[in-house]
Amino acid sequence: MCRILPAVCLAVCLTATVSLAAQDLQLPATVAAGSGFAIPTSGSGSATLYLVGPSYAAKRQVQLGEKILVQPQEVRSAGRYLAIVRGGGTSQSGSFYVVAAKSASLSFLAHPSRIPVAQRDGVIGVAFVFDKWHNLVRRPETVDFRLAAKDAPPVIQSVRSRDGVAWALMNSGHKAGNAKFVAALDGIEETRVIQQVAADPCHLQIRAERNAKGVLVETAPVRDCSGNPVSDGTVVTFTANGPQGLSTVDVPIKKDVAQAELKIPGPATISVASGVVMGNEVRVGGQP
Amino acid sequence: MKQLSCVGTGHCPVDGGSQTRLICATLAFALFCSVSCFAADAPAVQFDTSHIGPRQMEDVTGRNIPRDWGRAWQTLAVALEQNRPDLLGRSFTGFAQQKLAATIATQVKTGLRTRYIDHGHKLAAYFYSPDGGAIELHDTADMEIQVFDGNDLVHSDRITLHYIGLMTPAADHWEVRLLESVPSF
Repeated sequence: MCRILPAVCLAVCLTATVSLAAQDLQLPATVAAGSGFAIPTSGSGSATLYLVGPSYAAKRQVQLGEKILVQPQEVRSAGRYLAIVRGGGTSQSGSFYVVAAKSASLSFLAHPSRIPVAQRDGVIGVAFVFDKWHNLVRRPETVDFRLAAKDAPPVIQSVRSRDGVAWALMNSGHKAGNAKFVAALDGIEETRVIQQVAADPCHLQIRAERNAKGVLVETAPVRDCSGNPVSDGTVVTFTANGPQGLSTVDVPIKKDVAQAELKIPGPATISVASGVVMGNEVRVGGQP
Repeated sequence: MKQLSCVGTGHCPVDGGSQTRLICATLAFALFCSVSCFAADAPAVQFDTSHIGPRQMEDVTGRNIPRDWGRAWQTLAVALEQNRPDLLGRSFTGFAQQKLAATIATQVKTGLRTRYIDHGHKLAAYFYSPDGGAIELHDTADMEIQVFDGNDLVHSDRITLHYIGLMTPAADHWEVRLLESVPSF
């Protein structure tokens, strides 16, 4: 084996030396993705072409002295390609870059999918610009972000992409309901739906009335500051404070209002809250 | 790319002294390692977050991104050298995984292999989406790229390459969703 080893080492070294001493092929510096081109060669006889790039590797026989045609489908992915021509005792090589072609699609990330109304910079849109072969288009392009709710004028932000990405922060609308969030570029549109829901209650009001069983407390229709009915199921807390102590009842809103019957015989002060929002207080007297 | 542990030192049944035997063993070891058992350690990654926006990077993410970027390159090197698309899912997803898998498929078809000898990365985070769902990176990589036709080395060059990468979070690590070399930043 030791007799073979030096020969193998020498062969490896020679191969490397030939490779390092390779002549340069005449190649374009950059090529648009999916565009074929020709590589001129010198010499005569047959040779082997190696073309190695992102998502593609090829090996085929070519004739030296003739142009080598690189087919459009061989250069679809953006990135650096190596072209090597070996034959006739020489090796020629070179590299070129394939860059993205025309914009053809958007990868659109919208966040969140559900948001309270009137949130400043609460809606986030990020769009990545790609060509038809999923190469990132680095040229600046104008992406329009459009947020449109029913019965309200759309809000539009135009953003220049940089290194293939454009992003925008937008305010959620004032009206609850589904809003269409669209990223658009030269006729390409990607749509996401953002559910805008009522924000925290605003001006929480209660009234209380004593009856035979205790005190019936009920809110006025619960709405946010934009006038949207607060979602059913939102919890409202009634607190009664009197000589008999403190008692609390949590009640979900049903059909815009929350109501509860508090079994308190004596006088009490009843207050209401929902989340971080406090409402009014009412006083009720004891049972006659 | 560094070498992982190599086993075996060859066997030299030659006449001669222990010095010759030692030289033979060393040569055999070196050749065996260079040809048979090249495997990659994660390369060195310097990470710069000074130009990031619009979101600032959290400390944990700032540690995980260079770690996962290095692992991705380690995976890429082994997958392209050994033509193993099954490895890609560890670190790549989406277009990046599809394109690397396509590269491997055509390498297998043509009998080619590509060896990336990785001499390190200068990685800069450029865009971190406001919701924390995507990071775009600029990588300046010092690489030696060797192309093999079977076991025949047909090309080797050492070059500084620029890459644009896009990473997105997975369950417990970040995955490379896009990886493109570009002429410049």
